[in-house]
Amino acid sequence: MRELYARLMARLYRASIWIAGIAIVVMTLVIPWGVFTRYVLGTGSEWPEPLAILLMIIFTFFGAAACYRANAHISVALFRDMLPPPARAALAMVVDLLMALLALFMIVWGARLVEATWHQSIAEFPWLPVGASYMPLPLGGIVTLLFIVEHAWIGPARDLAEALAADAATELD
Amino acid sequence: MDAFVLIGTLLLLIAIGMPVAYALGLASLAGAAWGDIPYEAVMIKIAEGVNRFTLLAIPFFVLAGAIMAEGGMARRLVGLAFVLVGWIRGGLALVNILASSFFGCISGSSVADTASIGTVMIPQMVKAGYPRVFATNVTICGSVQAILIPPSHNAVIYALAAGGTISIAHLFIAGVFPGLLLGASLVVLCLIIAKRENFPKGERVPFRQALRIAADALWGLGTMIIILGGILSGVFTATESAAVACVYAFLVTMFVYRDYRWSELPHLVHRTVKTVAMVMILIGFASAFGYMLAIMQLPAKLTAFFLTVSNNKYVVLFLINLLLLFLGTLMDLAPLLLICTPILLPVVRALGVDPLHFGMIMMVNLGIGLVTPPVGTTLFVGCAIGKITIEQSMKGIWPFYGAMLVTLAIVTYVPAVSMWLPSLFKF
Repeated sequence: MRELYARLMARLYRASIWIAGIAIVVMTLVIPWGVFTRYVLGTGSEWPEPLAILLMIIFTFFGAAACYRANAHISVALFRDMLPPPARAALAMVVDLLMALLALFMIVWGARLVEATWHQSIAEFPWLPVGASYMPLPLGGIVTLLFIVEHAWIGPARDLAEALAADAATELD
Repeated sequence: MDAFVLIGTLLLLIAIGMPVAYALGLASLAGAAWGDIPYEAVMIKIAEGVNRFTLLAIPFFVLAGAIMAEGGMARRLVGLAFVLVGWIRGGLALVNILASSFFGCISGSSVADTASIGTVMIPQMVKAGYPRVFATNVTICGSVQAILIPPSHNAVIYALAAGGTISIAHLFIAGVFPGLLLGASLVVLCLIIAKRENFPKGERVPFRQALRIAADALWGLGTMIIILGGILSGVFTATESAAVACVYAFLVTMFVYRDYRWSELPHLVHRTVKTVAMVMILIGFASAFGYMLAIMQLPAKLTAFFLTVSNNKYVVLFLINLLLLFLGTLMDLAPLLLICTPILLPVVRALGVDPLHFGMIMMVNLGIGLVTPPVGTTLFVGCAIGKITIEQSMKGIWPFYGAMLVTLAIVTYVPAVSMWLPSLFKF
């Protein structure tokens, strides 16, 4: 059962990275395309900018869920590391519970936001409800929650052990 | 009391090791529950936080920097720096610092800078007879320039945290002199140490060869011309320039330099996804947190408090610098920019400090935080690459801290360093 769940989560992780990866690559291509149409074709397009923003929301919430599993989020381990191991384990449990609480909030209140804005439409894409653009919030919440369950139940992702060790630092700062 | 619930919850959650982004989200919820503010409002702020066109500049700048750093750019920038300053006594230390100035033109990340320049320079310096600890410390401290020298995604983060009223173009060019000043102060320090320790001189590069190296490196520096030229002339917005820079960096790496394999690209995208998604979610939750701060009128209250302590802006800036230096030792740059800017900016604004100037103060200050223990990402990465322990690094790093603090003092108390260049460009 645990094996199966861990395997499924490994798949879900790869899927999330793919979704976010495709989103960022497409974003990087549509914006220069907008510049190209404006200066070279002289027509200008309305769609690249709002499309890139939609992709950004998808990117953020799926990518952030994957980051949780890959332990790539910035956190302060200083005080936790001063504690004896049993206390550290208990604290990790508390953090998982609080994370789950926030993920639940994203699912429930994100879904309400989707519902409330379902009948408004985006100016540039009349066929697309505003609510649909907010779908990544509850969906990302669900993925994050599944990863939190894995972390609390089975432990840190084993298929990422190598990556976890190598990617201790980010290239952000 | 409101503020106590909000800030207290945040600090507690961060202290127990919850990821900072989610701690900001949960603290906002606690604040909303306490202050009877509807959760919908918090949710909308989180969504709005990542729903802005300017924000797109961040993934694009990080991606462009990653492509160039890994695509053989770092080696070429080191080559160019060697041509220019390699022949001076202590030359390789100066090459290291200048290469970081160049690297700052393609990336805004001091961690990426340390990783890329350090991998090339530290072994080379050790081979030439420089102490390993010195070589590592030069790399670590020199890399902080990358945060200030444009383009810098951290400047975009600051602009967002400041409420989106500051022009990114102005912030970019405001960073030029503070960045160069930091580099110059480290250069002076290295010249003094090189003379005392009698470090070796390098060789002069023959003129023809020098020209070829320069031409090769110019392809990479072309990124900065696209970005700054594009933004300042009004051809592109900052976001567009960043996306065009990505495409340009990709083309140069794949078709001009041709030393990056196509099969490496998915890994590069994977790493970039993690780096960028982590900061995006941070921005989303921080915008909810900023909203709660504003509702609880915390910035106004804090401003009033600071004004009772002193209404002299130099004293207040000094106190804020001490506070930020302390926080910087404990936390990374991006989350601190996002948390502290909405709180502190109104305080200094009330005293007549320009937001551009304050942005530079924060970035120099928090940049120092990246190279100070117990939490300093750049320090950790640099020590890993230089194969020394943090303790070893600490023994030799104090003069470097001194040079950086002098830079911070000048940037804080001489506004012209940050403000002169932007004042030449009216938008």
